[in-house]
Amino acid sequence: MSNSVISVISRFLDEYGTTTPNKLKVVDAYLLYILLTGALQFLYCLLVGTFPFNSFLSGFISCVGSFILAVCLRIQINPQNKGDFLSISPERAFADFLFAHTVLHLVVMNFIG
Amino acid sequence: CVFAGLFGLFLLSLALSGAQALTPSHYLSLSDVARLQNLLSQQFTDLESAYYSVVGLTKLGATVPDHEIPVSNETRDLLLAAVSEDSTMTQIHRAVSALSSLGLPLASQEVVGSLTARINKEDNVMAITMALQTASQLSQQAELGGILEEIEDLTARLDDLGGLYLQFEEGLEATAMFVTAAYSLSDHVDMEPPIKEDQVIQLVNSIFSKKSWDSLSEAFSVASAAAALSGNRFHVPVVVTAQVTSPSLSLSDSQLLVTDVISQPLDSANVVVESAYAVASKTAILNQAPFTINDGIFELNFMSSQPASGYYQFTIAVTGDSRLVANHVELKVKVSTEVAVTNMDLSVVDKDQSIGTKTTRVDYPSKAKSSFTADSHQNFAMSFQLVDVNTGVELTPHQTFVRLHNQKTGQEVVFVAEPDSKNLYKFELDTAERKSEFDSISGTYSLYLIVGDATLENPILWNVADVILKFVDEEAPATVQPKTLYVPKPEIQHLFREPEKKPPTVVSNTFTALILSPFLLLLILWFKLGANISSFSFSPSTILFHLGHAAMLGLMYVYWTHLNMFQTLKYLAIIGGVTFLAGNRMLAQKAVKRIAAEQSSRLAKYRSLR
Repeated sequence: MSNSVISVISRFLDEYGTTTPNKLKVVDAYLLYILLTGALQFLYCLLVGTFPFNSFLSGFISCVGSFILAVCLRIQINPQNKGDFLSISPERAFADFLFAHTVLHLVVMNFIG
Repeated sequence: CVFAGLFGLFLLSLALSGAQALTPSHYLSLSDVARLQNLLSQQFTDLESAYYSVVGLTKLGATVPDHEIPVSNETRDLLLAAVSEDSTMTQIHRAVSALSSLGLPLASQEVVGSLTARINKEDNVMAITMALQTASQLSQQAELGGILEEIEDLTARLDDLGGLYLQFEEGLEATAMFVTAAYSLSDHVDMEPPIKEDQVIQLVNSIFSKKSWDSLSEAFSVASAAAALSGNRFHVPVVVTAQVTSPSLSLSDSQLLVTDVISQPLDSANVVVESAYAVASKTAILNQAPFTINDGIFELNFMSSQPASGYYQFTIAVTGDSRLVANHVELKVKVSTEVAVTNMDLSVVDKDQSIGTKTTRVDYPSKAKSSFTADSHQNFAMSFQLVDVNTGVELTPHQTFVRLHNQKTGQEVVFVAEPDSKNLYKFELDTAERKSEFDSISGTYSLYLIVGDATLENPILWNVADVILKFVDEEAPATVQPKTLYVPKPEIQHLFREPEKKPPTVVSNTFTALILSPFLLLLILWFKLGANISSFSFSPSTILFHLGHAAMLGLMYVYWTHLNMFQTLKYLAIIGGVTFLAGNRMLAQKAVKRIAAEQSSRLAKYRSLR
């Protein structure tokens, strides 16, 4: 059982390494970073307590929001999805990404207290 | 059949109680009338004041010196011309008043026409009131019906305040002038005004509740209303007040003043007590007893029927004139008396009743010659009777207290003496049982008897005897502390909300470092992937974009530390605008480059395929 899981994972990693273009790998690295940051924040909250709660919330939501926006960016700049996003060039996607991030950080900074 | 009869009686009693519901609570007493006359008698400096003074005083019945005013033809024509649709209501009113008081002829129907037109144009209370007043000076042959209907409309516009007052929101003057005008017109056409009796009383209350008047015109309006309400042909409100003659508040012989609203006695009236009953026992004592008039005051010899002391409810009816309004009055009468203490017996009784009691009789107001001693084995007892001096009937006043006052410490203890079934008052002091009230302080106490009641004219405070009380377990007789009720209380320290427990700084710092570590990982990964900034073109838009973006991130930090949302939005708008424009430029350039690269690669692929 575990054998097949390991083989699936290794196969997946191989394919991932070979087929994904570099740009997407850059975004994926960013996604991993955001994920780890969010997870660590959550771990801290579990271990130490929710004080101050608003700060925890704002940090966590910042991670979640950034993750979502980065995923959107990845989807939009993936050349394989070009058919779904005919009117949105990768540059436009990036610009949207930046704008959404500005709004997100405004809210996060307001809430962080 | 019986049921119908009972129901009829029920309705009748309701009707009677309804009729008796409202009586004037305000009217002009003689002193008020004098004050009003004084105000109106002031020297007048202009025509308006002259009008108010002269006419006001005349209405109150005061004499006014004559004034001769000669009239020329031009004046008469001027006045007649003023009566038209185009003049204001005030002008029409003054012209008509002048013409009629000067005895000059008027075209009444024309005036009616102008008034009706003005009422439609000036739909306010004062204007319509003036129209009513003007109409009352016109010939009776004119068509005054339309104007008469305005009385009913205006009555509907009055504001009811708590069921007691009825007045216009425009104020006292408007209300008083309306009453004057309404009755003056009603008298003129000899038709009863559509104002209900309760409404008349409510108007009386509103107009006469104010006892000092701000202006001459206000005083004039009150005087006019007073004259109207006391002299018109339809409604004359009656005011019944009890005449208080003796300094004590009782009525030894019931005397009533029956007057109209300006305290003029209604001599021709017939005053009868319809019924009177004692409030406590509800037994009737009088039925249809007439008052006799004696020098303007109505008297009834009530005491001759020897009523017991207490409160009585009298229902009085004033008849004799069909115009009288609020002529059923309810009065509360108090009959008071004097009390005497008889058979005051003091004794000290042994608890086990082994030794015979020795009773000492004390007579009011002297004090017992010897003092009484009671220790824990004995009870001190007191018994007495309270009788009415006039009738000999036993009384049970509201207050019968026994007060023991320690002469040395100033401490006093008060007990209540209660009557038994035979109205004999008894008081027993169990020394052992009551020692807590006395704080177990032995000593000589003065014993006082206190008797009082609202219907007693001679309350009693009588030092009956001295009692020496001996308590067991006596504490050291400390001076009695007055109860510290009014001493500043201990200060309460406000407990602010405790801030939540923070985790130790070490833990937070560790985790801060931990959270920053994924960033390092990111940089490493990017490096490994070969992400680079080699295609960085140093065009102005690129530089500007990056600077702007960095500025926005810096603004976020400053927002966290210093600014509020509004300031941040302001700066963000500026920086963001710049960044957007630069970024747009930069991305467009990148897009061009990308499309060119794609096209060239496609071209190359195409060529290689060929």
